[in-house]
Amino acid sequence: MNIIEIKNLTKVYDEKTIPVYALNGVNLSFREGEFTSIVGPSGSGKTTLLNLMGGLDAPTSGEIVIDQTDITRLKSRKLIDFRLRNIGFVFQSFNLIPVLTAKENVEFIMQLQGVNREQRDLRTLELLKSVGLGNKINARPGKLSGGQQQRVAVARALASKPKFILADEPTANLDSKSAENLLEIMEKLNREENITFIFSTHDSRVVAKARRVITLEDGKIVGDVLKNSPPKPPLPLGEGTGR
Amino acid sequence: MIFRIAFKNVWRNKVRSLIVIVAITLGLAGGVFTASIITGMVEQKIRTGINNEVSHIQVHHPAFQKNFESRYVIPDAMGVAASLAKMPAVKAVSARTRIAGMAASPNSATGIQILGVDPLQEKKVSTLFTTIHDSAGGYFTGRHRNQIVIGQKLATKLKIRLKSKVILRFQNPDGDLTEAAFSVNGIFQTSNTMFDETNVFVRKSDLDQVTGTDNGIQEIALILQNIDDIPAAEAAIKAKLPAMEVRNWVELRPDMGMITSAIAIEVYIILGIILFALAFGIVNTMLMIVFERTRELGMLMAVGMSKSRVFRMIMLETVFLTFIGGIVGMALSIGLVGLFSHYGIDLASMSKGLGAFGFDPKIYPYISTVFYINLTVMIFCTGILSAVMPARKALQLNPVEAIRVD
Repeated sequence: MNIIEIKNLTKVYDEKTIPVYALNGVNLSFREGEFTSIVGPSGSGKTTLLNLMGGLDAPTSGEIVIDQTDITRLKSRKLIDFRLRNIGFVFQSFNLIPVLTAKENVEFIMQLQGVNREQRDLRTLELLKSVGLGNKINARPGKLSGGQQQRVAVARALASKPKFILADEPTANLDSKSAENLLEIMEKLNREENITFIFSTHDSRVVAKARRVITLEDGKIVGDVLKNSPPKPPLPLGEGTGR
Repeated sequence: MIFRIAFKNVWRNKVRSLIVIVAITLGLAGGVFTASIITGMVEQKIRTGINNEVSHIQVHHPAFQKNFESRYVIPDAMGVAASLAKMPAVKAVSARTRIAGMAASPNSATGIQILGVDPLQEKKVSTLFTTIHDSAGGYFTGRHRNQIVIGQKLATKLKIRLKSKVILRFQNPDGDLTEAAFSVNGIFQTSNTMFDETNVFVRKSDLDQVTGTDNGIQEIALILQNIDDIPAAEAAIKAKLPAMEVRNWVELRPDMGMITSAIAIEVYIILGIILFALAFGIVNTMLMIVFERTRELGMLMAVGMSKSRVFRMIMLETVFLTFIGGIVGMALSIGLVGLFSHYGIDLASMSKGLGAFGFDPKIYPYISTVFYINLTVMIFCTGILSAVMPARKALQLNPVEAIRVD
């Protein structure tokens, strides 16, 4: 079942002066339980695509339908609430709240959702254990390594029980051991709990683990490969690769 | 949750927060202490003015206040005084003869007000006798006749001292010019040199004797049980004596009434300016905080924190910062005012200048509870107003750009 349907998505910057097509007529769909990498050179539109899918930015044209809701039509307030309940984010630079403990950083999303204390406590502990930080619940970000901080960020992204998690270069600021460790955890969550992960990345280790690799170039899909299946040829320029 | 995060955020950069808190604390404490000195001075001036000079309420013949002509006496003054003394709100009553005249010594002469009093009654209404120092005689001590109690300033002007002779010249109510010699029995010294220079006290019985006639009572002064009873007591006395003029201390001494309201406004202006200046510091700090935390705020908005929650969080942080400084500042102010109101601040070196304006050289700072309540409201408003700009700035952040800020 598709959880994300992207139709003819275009994002143009500096529309009135010299238009720059960050995305140009992209068509894509994602199924529940995918472990997908979006790759491409700098400026290819990876981050723009992720931002649009996450409802952080508005497209110039096109549709993004998540669970039967076209998020491009949502008003600001509804979009924020939609993000809170449906989308998990993992950022390149962790972005934890430094004054809160690991537990509080995870719990905070559920507090925004209005989850009661008992359920919050249970789920926070469960999530931190699942990312291997059951013994660090009271540590503040400053006392955690980069890898540990990113694992807290993954737990935070999972806290709201989102339909999918968008991870923008999640391993970019990690050493190789931490990156491996983080990928293993995310892969395990994907495998065992069917959590959908969509990465934008340059990291070959992430690409290696991904079961689907989408390649972007100049705002267009130029490759969409399902591992364990023969790669699809890129479509002619100007067209997407709807699956 | 927002509350907790906001409070924890205040302590994120302890040094910076402490600098702001110390600035607020010192600004407030300085402002409140200055206000307390000013208020204390005025309160003292009014208290001593009431106790030594005007009392709470005075009754006169309606025509008397126009030209201070002694012929305008209060009819059946003793009966009136006795009836006023029976009123529950009234603590003490003194019936006075008040005649304009001249005081002369071999060296000099000057215009004065002669007050003929019954010393026993007068001591219940006026604390003037307490301002006579041990070395400056007494307040109608001994039995000999024609004693006079004068102010230090007048004594200096006439170049006279204790037991010196002073000649009083005045017109009695019948229009006859009289003069008599009086012996200085005591020299008082209030904080109002003008009063000390222009008022002399003699026994009414002596005055009547030298004129050979009853000079009448031109003034009945009353002290009430409580200063707050003035409006009710004044209305009751007016109803009782419709033909007489009944005036309270503010009407008798408009300068004192005016200074009270002027100072009340002035202290709020001082505090207002201090808080306004502090608000700039707070806004600056909070803007810095918003800029520093751009990425984090972007993340919060990205993961689903609504704009209203982000706004509230920054508002709360600012209000906390202001309030912590405000509370510490108030505590320090209460301590300072409490300490100095007990021991007083001695401005003896300036006493000559202060005395000319009716101020005591030793000041006891004073601040009312109402002032502290109003100050709390002012601090709260400062916190809210200072918070709006940084919080609005936070709202203007675009999560996509904010997340990528280094």
